[in-house]
Amino acid sequence: MSRKKIIIGAIALVIVVVAIYAWSEFTRTVRPLTDVEPDFTTDAVALIAEFEANETEADKKYHNKIIVVNGMVKSVDELENTFSIALGDTNNMSSVRCVLDSNLVSAAAGIRRGQVIAIKGAITGFKKDDTGLLGSDVELNRCVIE
Amino acid sequence: MQQRNFVVTVILVLSVTFVSAQDKFFTKNGRISFVSKGNIETITANHKSVTCVLDSKTGVIQFSVLMRGFEFRKALMQEHFNENYVESDKYPRSEFRGQIVNNSAVDYSKDGVYEVKVKGKLTIHGVTREIENDGKITIKGGKPHAASTLVISLSDYKINIPGIHRDNINNTVTITIDCPMEPLKS
Repeated sequence: MSRKKIIIGAIALVIVVVAIYAWSEFTRTVRPLTDVEPDFTTDAVALIAEFEANETEADKKYHNKIIVVNGMVKSVDELENTFSIALGDTNNMSSVRCVLDSNLVSAAAGIRRGQVIAIKGAITGFKKDDTGLLGSDVELNRCVIE
Repeated sequence: MQQRNFVVTVILVLSVTFVSAQDKFFTKNGRISFVSKGNIETITANHKSVTCVLDSKTGVIQFSVLMRGFEFRKALMQEHFNENYVESDKYPRSEFRGQIVNNSAVDYSKDGVYEVKVKGKLTIHGVTREIENDGKITIKGGKPHAASTLVISLSDYKINIPGIHRDNINNTVTITIDCPMEPLKS
């Protein structure tokens, strides 16, 4: 095989590999968290306290992280088949609010206020309450019940 | 006599507190979605944790969202949205603070659909702009449901689209807001 053919073959191979990688990246969907190992496991009350004490530091620590939160269910809200579960202290307005993965909502069926559960989710940040009426929230989405 | 005055004052204060609590409505599970129609594909994203507070007495209304909470179908779009366009680390929150201009046209005690005009300040990507938009307040069983569709230009909010993506991402984005609210109990 001539040297020229080898070079052409190598270039073609590189183009094919790059094209496959680009296509797989372009079509990559957001994966469910069911089998994803969490970066942190914590308690809802402790997590809220961490954000309330130092939002900047907590943001840095939990940035883009997958987290398992243990806590007492304060409320379960359903809107057009989307479930949102609030965890935390029922005497405090602040909560960890978890929006369930839309493909895994059946797990929410038996969840009741006062129950202690563990939820795994992707942390999206801290919504500090500046109205003084609602309480602050640590928000998670793509959540699954552990 | 003094004791009677005290009792009357306490009753009055409690009544005012009760009335003002019934004037306010809220949700933490509101929806916002946006659509950008590019030449190659249409980009859509949804948010299911919108906080909205409405004071029915004054018409003051406020929405807020954490930008990282927008969910896309494609992972790469979500990453580009957060890292390259809206810079969610730098500007984690977007919000609208405004007022229903024709709030007197809404009868919060009567079921119905009321066309409203909303005016206020919209902050996205750290840029705050005055906006005015039409919306709808639907009253059902004493609970308001706020809905609106607005069109914004990304360039107005200093959201830059890199040259390589310019054909795929439209500078104009249509945002749809949908917030069914509950009475705020204090």
